[in-house]
Amino acid sequence: MNFDMPNFLPAMPEMFVLGMTSLILIIDLFLNERTRVVSYLLAQATLVGAFILSLSLYSGNAELSFSDTFVLDPMAGVLKMAVYATVFMVFLYSHSYLRERGLFRGEFFVLALFGVLGMMVLISAHSFLTIYLGLELMSLALYAMVAMQRDSRTASEAAMKYFILGAMASAMLLYGMSMLYGVTGTLELTELSRAVQQTQGDRLLLVFGLVFLLVGVAFKLGAVPFHMWVPDVYHGAPTAVTLFISTAPKLAGFAMLMRLMVDGLPGLQPQWHDILVLLAVLSIGVGNVVAIAQTNIKRMLAYSGISHAGFLLLGVLSGTPEGYAAGMFYAIVYTIMGLGGFGMVILMSRAGFEAEQLEDYKGLNQRSPWFALMMLFIMFSMAGVPPFIGFWAKLAVLQAVVSANLMWLAAVAVIFSVIGAFFYLRVIKLMYFDQAREQGSLKPGADLAVVLSANAIGILALGAFPGALMALCLQAMGA
Amino acid sequence: MIALSDYLTVGAILFGLSMAGVFINRKNVIILLMCIELMLLAVNINFIAFSYFLGDSAGQVFVFFILTVAAAEAAIGLAILVVLFRNRRTINVAELDSLKG
Amino acid sequence: MSFEQIIFYIFSAILVAAAVGVITVRNPVHAALFLVMCFITTSALWLLLEAEFLAITLVLVYVGAVMVLFLFVVMMLDINIAKMREGFTGYLPLGALVAGGTIAVMWYVANNDYFNLTNMPPPERLAADASNTRMLGEQLYTTYVYPFEIAAVILLLAIVAAITLTLRHRTGTRYQKIDQQVRVKRDERVRMVKMESEERK
Repeated sequence: MNFDMPNFLPAMPEMFVLGMTSLILIIDLFLNERTRVVSYLLAQATLVGAFILSLSLYSGNAELSFSDTFVLDPMAGVLKMAVYATVFMVFLYSHSYLRERGLFRGEFFVLALFGVLGMMVLISAHSFLTIYLGLELMSLALYAMVAMQRDSRTASEAAMKYFILGAMASAMLLYGMSMLYGVTGTLELTELSRAVQQTQGDRLLLVFGLVFLLVGVAFKLGAVPFHMWVPDVYHGAPTAVTLFISTAPKLAGFAMLMRLMVDGLPGLQPQWHDILVLLAVLSIGVGNVVAIAQTNIKRMLAYSGISHAGFLLLGVLSGTPEGYAAGMFYAIVYTIMGLGGFGMVILMSRAGFEAEQLEDYKGLNQRSPWFALMMLFIMFSMAGVPPFIGFWAKLAVLQAVVSANLMWLAAVAVIFSVIGAFFYLRVIKLMYFDQAREQGSLKPGADLAVVLSANAIGILALGAFPGALMALCLQAMGA
Repeated sequence: MIALSDYLTVGAILFGLSMAGVFINRKNVIILLMCIELMLLAVNINFIAFSYFLGDSAGQVFVFFILTVAAAEAAIGLAILVVLFRNRRTINVAELDSLKG
Repeated sequence: MSFEQIIFYIFSAILVAAAVGVITVRNPVHAALFLVMCFITTSALWLLLEAEFLAITLVLVYVGAVMVLFLFVVMMLDINIAKMREGFTGYLPLGALVAGGTIAVMWYVANNDYFNLTNMPPPERLAADASNTRMLGEQLYTTYVYPFEIAAVILLLAIVAAITLTLRHRTGTRYQKIDQQVRVKRDERVRMVKMESEERK
């Protein structure tokens, strides 16, 4: 037997994150409550370092390594950098929240970084094997993070639901992979796409495998009808964990969809196109309509996330590089808006009080005009009102759908987002036109105030100049 | 001779039964965890059967990893179960109602 | 019917019966034992498929470690079985429907002509000295070295997560401090008191 040394260079960021995570795990043992901030700073340094490494490795072409189980292409580069930036923001937001609730422990950062590593593996996966392992590494870290608030009944209940449904989805995904492996005889994505074109086997077998595969992906993205876990988990988990779950994993989920469908199964495009249309319509419809009935803002944002997942699918199903770029643009924009939305919930909360009810936002304008304005930006952007970035993201995916000659689908999406605008505007009405239940101005910590303001103003600034981000996405997709 | 389809049929029956198990045992989380183990076992039977009939070792390697991950998954699942039980004194799914979705 | 087929059908029948047992019995301990039976019969099927290493791993790791862990947790959580029985039959029709539907579809697919004996004949049996373990090992440390490392990370994550979730430092617990007990000196335990002898009254 001979062993060709693989090219380790493209996997430098993964190795760096793993090494630093292990280091934090050890260093944290020697820290006490007062010095725990070292773990936090090291975690942030890890993300910054990984960002620099990924940036220096970024190039226009794809590089395979480790016997083709790993790929570093422009899409992987951009998505990984987006993940680091997102998680960096998540840590900034959660710092004081965790401290106030006794959750400021080294394990939080270690688990989150393991989750980041899982996302990186998933984003760079080029074989069923690495897709599965990356997905599990990410999901297992997320299950544990939801349950981390051990004395909270809702958190442990949410974790259990998330775990059971997530493990079932993984099993479905594996069943689909086993069927596709059986027909094509390979796990590697390029060979798979070749084998799918040439196979003499029944198309039915491939489609059967595809359906199971898509069940798994739809679950991870939180698309209807596999969305049952989303509101419960977002509601039950500590808000800092909700912030994490609702943002970065969506980028990884998008990458997983792209790897499986576009890299692995382009030969089944007509079939997955139809299934994705169904998932997208259901997600946009159910997400926007059910969100209206919510009184809890975390649940409302969860249903809003479901409808955003539907929009993301719209970009992918068009089947063109422009469409994929639009989908990627949407995923990144949703992540930025999700950070703002749940970040606001964290900002409003304080020790012993979770600002979970919509009622808590009544009269925010009287208590703090500045943060009411920031929330207005975020809500308008989520609703897709110009000139905020959310508008451009919706426009890009709708253009992709229209260019794929699916006018009716674009019309349905527009109608439902108009319906959906209602519940975003209701939050604004509560903030500006209702009487505050509690008086006294809102005084968040300086770091939180700065991060949230930067986030919300970023939404406005990106909305004014969406060209650069869009160009980056187009370049990453080779369009 | 045993055909590939025979092995796949065993896998299919096992997968179907474990799906049914998830619906029947709505009350008992620990049996739900066992049903998930059973599901993964069904998938593993598929992979090993394909691996043998295709004469390709990748299927066996995949099963090796599924076994590893499933063991890790069981450990985390049981840990969450213990946390849940400490909080609620029950693992009955019907009584888990703080989150209404 | 060849000997191989007899073995296949016997073990498959036990496997399916045990799986039915796992999902229908109400006592979690019985369910766990049925699951053990599933694993053992499956490992026999894997031996027929020349996957010796995985077959033995399934018994050692699953029966030996994972199922013991399950049993530990079942015993540790003091579960009210009588309560678990309520409403069980209510979901039975739904469960039967799900099982029937899933199995019917999968059966149809599994018995597709593509998978029959003429299209996919079983390969020649390997020679008696062919080592399945060696083959897997060579693959794992060369072609699949990257997934292998990730699997290691997943196990590390499982350790960290399980400890984070379940370890608690109880303040009220009394336990032995052995090092201090060994190092104890006479002066710390016995105090010599000098006092005048007293006269009994």
